Amino acid sequence: MPQFDFANVAWPQLAWLALLFIVLYFGVVRMTLPKLGKVMEQREDKITGDLSAAQAAKETADQVDARYHAEMDTSREQARLAISAAKADAAKASEARLATAASAADAEIAAAEARIAKASAKAEGALRDAAAESAQAIVAKLTGVEPKLAAAQQSVAAQF
Amino acid sequence: MANPMEQFAVKTIKPLEVAGYDVSFTNSSLWMLIALVAVSAFLFIGTAKPQLVPGRMQAATEYLYDFVRKMLDENVGPEGRRFAPLIFSIFIFVLACNLLGLIPWVGAFTPTSHVVVTFGLAMIVFVTVCIVGFWHHGLHFFSLFWPKDSNIFLGAFVFLIEFLSFLTRPFTLAIRLFANMTAGHVLLKVFGTFVVTLGSFGALPYVLGALPLVVVVALTALEVLIAVVQAYVFALLASLYLNDAVNLH
Repeated sequence: MPQFDFANVAWPQLAWLALLFIVLYFGVVRMTLPKLGKVMEQREDKITGDLSAAQAAKETADQVDARYHAEMDTSREQARLAISAAKADAAKASEARLATAASAADAEIAAAEARIAKASAKAEGALRDAAAESAQAIVAKLTGVEPKLAAAQQSVAAQF
Repeated sequence: MANPMEQFAVKTIKPLEVAGYDVSFTNSSLWMLIALVAVSAFLFIGTAKPQLVPGRMQAATEYLYDFVRKMLDENVGPEGRRFAPLIFSIFIFVLACNLLGLIPWVGAFTPTSHVVVTFGLAMIVFVTVCIVGFWHHGLHFFSLFWPKDSNIFLGAFVFLIEFLSFLTRPFTLAIRLFANMTAGHVLLKVFGTFVVTLGSFGALPYVLGALPLVVVVALTALEVLIAVVQAYVFALLASLYLNDAVNLH
């Protein structure tokens, strides 16, 4: 095998390997890879930065959302309270109005009753007078003696 | 039948000598150089204008770089990132040599099919591991070989075994890659030769060559897989050895 002919193949190959590897390491890899490493690091930083920014934005959005919900809840509660207060007010007002209307109606009813009583008393009085006078006239016609009005009135009153 | 070992012959293109040592530019050097050029093109184009949203070439380089970084993160931990350029260099160099050596027709040579080259690469890893180990832990680095909670005789015995296994690491690392590459290329060459010899059977030309041709196609796909997997294994073992040096146990 030519590979084991060390006397002839060793030094030329080792010398060129050493030279070319030094060129590769210092002249090529050391010149290029750090640039690549830098840009890869930048990319990593950018990605992590973007991710954390997105995270922060999400947190803000969550906070806004929570605040929105809290505010919605309080205003809903306030609206509910306002509605029940208005309802209570309206109920009270209508109750009061009903009460005044009822008392006015009562007063009117009482006045009307009084008027009715007066009118009926008056009508009763007139009826008695008429009955007394009729009785006087009937007695005068039957007996020819005209009774006194007062006596007729007395007997009418005694009949009722 | 052509000798399947012929493909591993190192041929001098331009003879050179430095301080009495033969450092000729050979076909092996040429293909290492081609690998270096290919890797440079890949990396320089990929990182020409790094952008937050990568283009195709940048995404490809980033994929490989991220692959190596993740491997180091998993096997070494947070301190491993410092060695990303070294492991990346080894990984991509081995990968480029393995893959470029598979190109047919162009007379491709696979430098990683030479144990000298893979041993050189393994020594880069080994020396780095030793330097990092002694730099981090001083002589305490030897406690890597000492089993915890054992008596002194058993401990000394295990220490010896562990130390020897530590010293054989560069050899196993080198031989694994070299053997895989060599075996694969020999297999390809042998079946390639079958295509020619069976295909030129006089009474029934071409027909009998079809079967080995199918096998060669399948083997080529397998060899591409092995080229990638062996580069990965080399880098993975290098990072595991680094883990020993950085974290001891």
